[in-house]
Amino acid sequence: MLSFMNATYKQLTSIIIGLIGFLVPFLIEIPGLSDAGHVALSIFCIAAIFWMLEPVPIYATSMLVILLQVFFLSKQGILFPEASADYIPTSYTEFIGTLANPIIILFLGGFVLADAAVKFDLDKNLTRVLLKPFGSNPKFIILGLMVVTALLSAFMSNTATTAMMMTVILPIIARTQPGDPLRIGLALSIPFAANIGGIATPIGTPPNAVVIGALSTQGINIAFTDWMLLAAPLVAVVLIASWFILLWMFKPASTKIELDISGSFQKNKEALFVYLIFGITVLLWVTESLHGVGSSIVALLPVAALSLTGILDQDRIRKLPWEVLWLVAGGISLGISMESTGLAEWIITSINWSIFSSIFLVIAFSLVAIIMSNFLSNTVSATLLIPLAVSLATSGAAGEGFSLVLISLVIGVSASLAMMLPISTPPNAIAMSTGTMKTKHMTRAGFAVGILGLIMVTLYALFYWPLILN
Amino acid sequence: MDEKIYILIVEDELEVMDALIKDLEKFEEYFPVESANNANEAREVIDYILDHGHKVGLILCDHVLPGQNGVDLLIDLQQIPEAAKSKKVLVTGQAGHEDTILAINKADLDHYIAKPWTKEQLAEVVVSELTDYVIANEKNLLPFMQILDSGKLSDAMRKNQLTDH
Repeated sequence: MLSFMNATYKQLTSIIIGLIGFLVPFLIEIPGLSDAGHVALSIFCIAAIFWMLEPVPIYATSMLVILLQVFFLSKQGILFPEASADYIPTSYTEFIGTLANPIIILFLGGFVLADAAVKFDLDKNLTRVLLKPFGSNPKFIILGLMVVTALLSAFMSNTATTAMMMTVILPIIARTQPGDPLRIGLALSIPFAANIGGIATPIGTPPNAVVIGALSTQGINIAFTDWMLLAAPLVAVVLIASWFILLWMFKPASTKIELDISGSFQKNKEALFVYLIFGITVLLWVTESLHGVGSSIVALLPVAALSLTGILDQDRIRKLPWEVLWLVAGGISLGISMESTGLAEWIITSINWSIFSSIFLVIAFSLVAIIMSNFLSNTVSATLLIPLAVSLATSGAAGEGFSLVLISLVIGVSASLAMMLPISTPPNAIAMSTGTMKTKHMTRAGFAVGILGLIMVTLYALFYWPLILN
Repeated sequence: MDEKIYILIVEDELEVMDALIKDLEKFEEYFPVESANNANEAREVIDYILDHGHKVGLILCDHVLPGQNGVDLLIDLQQIPEAAKSKKVLVTGQAGHEDTILAINKADLDHYIAKPWTKEQLAEVVVSELTDYVIANEKNLLPFMQILDSGKLSDAMRKNQLTDH
């Protein structure tokens, strides 16, 4: 990843394409689109091109998005200081305020917890204990690995979970005969389970945050437990089905494998305090519907408690993945002006949606999200698709029965179901780097999981989610 | 990878040099091996590598060399910031007690391999030293998973606040 200052030829080309994309809406008059809508389209174009071609890091594009919106589209910006018939300018605080959106604070809480868990090896020790009941049969060991990986990645980043689980499976792989398909099955089980597990909770992975953030700007608040109730049953089914797929594609030749993860829970005062805070926070999160205290409010507990005790010191605070928060905030921010300028609605109304059935729309959005996020960042895919779905639902263009929450969920979940290529997700890249498989193995298995995911999302959207949402 | 991480061997005896190069064959694909016959040549090679935007990950150095000896060379290299980061290993049978202590204290010596070495022993040291080097100096550890200590690299990634995006 080179910086802007010493860009390569390819990066320069991408930057120029982005700038052209930015300028075009300024130069041509699009009938039916407001002036502010033109500007929003400019910003959307440069953001989409930069996010897709990545001449600069994706979080840098998010920062640019917020800057451009404040400069051009806010009430304090240069173009629209006054309200007009077709655009009431948003205050700049709306755009920068996305950085303190409740979902961002929730993520911050998740980051802090994950950091403390890693510092005191809580993740490794939990893995050790949780894997014990799965015995030594390779089939069940793979299942155990997948369940534990999914569970951890629901609360930690999928990537960090994958890296940790690699330390568990690499010794097993090293002891397995070179030609045994078990090696491939093992190496794929971890990233797949991590990708899928991230769907389970709001803090599991950034696309979830994009969905929840976008809905919150529409005045819809999704509680931690609501999300889990909607997403976790899907995770369980897709996870188990992926296990079958992996066993079927890569039938283990070994009949017995031994796990030897040594270690014990740290028992010093600081570690015990971390376990306590971890336990309390997660417990409060997963019981939100019982006590009603919002998960973002609860998230402040680990942030404050771990800082006050010095467990989260200055160095560790600095090392938190702040860029992810900017990435998500930029996405939510882009959605705000696509809505308020009428751009999203204009994109939507150019197609006559009423001729499509809602099941067709669910499949279409899910499929597009899966395809996009196989090649692009999952978060970016969700960010680009969500505003369209939001407008489709709020404008009523898609007709009755097209629920805003439902279609947002379809997009958010589908963005995490892409795992065909090493570039699809960072966990896939880690698994591929071990050299235990060829790309074709990942592509075949990832394709099967993708198709399965598409079917499951459609079924859940038709039968299960409406049951919970209504 | 545009930027390469080199292994540098400093050794004046041809047979020993050939043996080392042969034993390091499996690393060539990932870490190109360069050689120098004496201290001055070593400095030139290092300058050349650094000037071209590459790095020196590991220096395997003999002690008894014509001109400046190995330990003094390693101590001198601590003055070059980029070379100070390189992992330094003495490969020798003849460094005395005092020289070795000097190398540990002043050149940040990372390992001492006594001649004669075995291929396995050498590979183990190279893997271990280069793993530590890339963990300390590289942002992306994935390209090294297949040749270096993948367990240790994974654990470093785990502790590195990796995120999804």
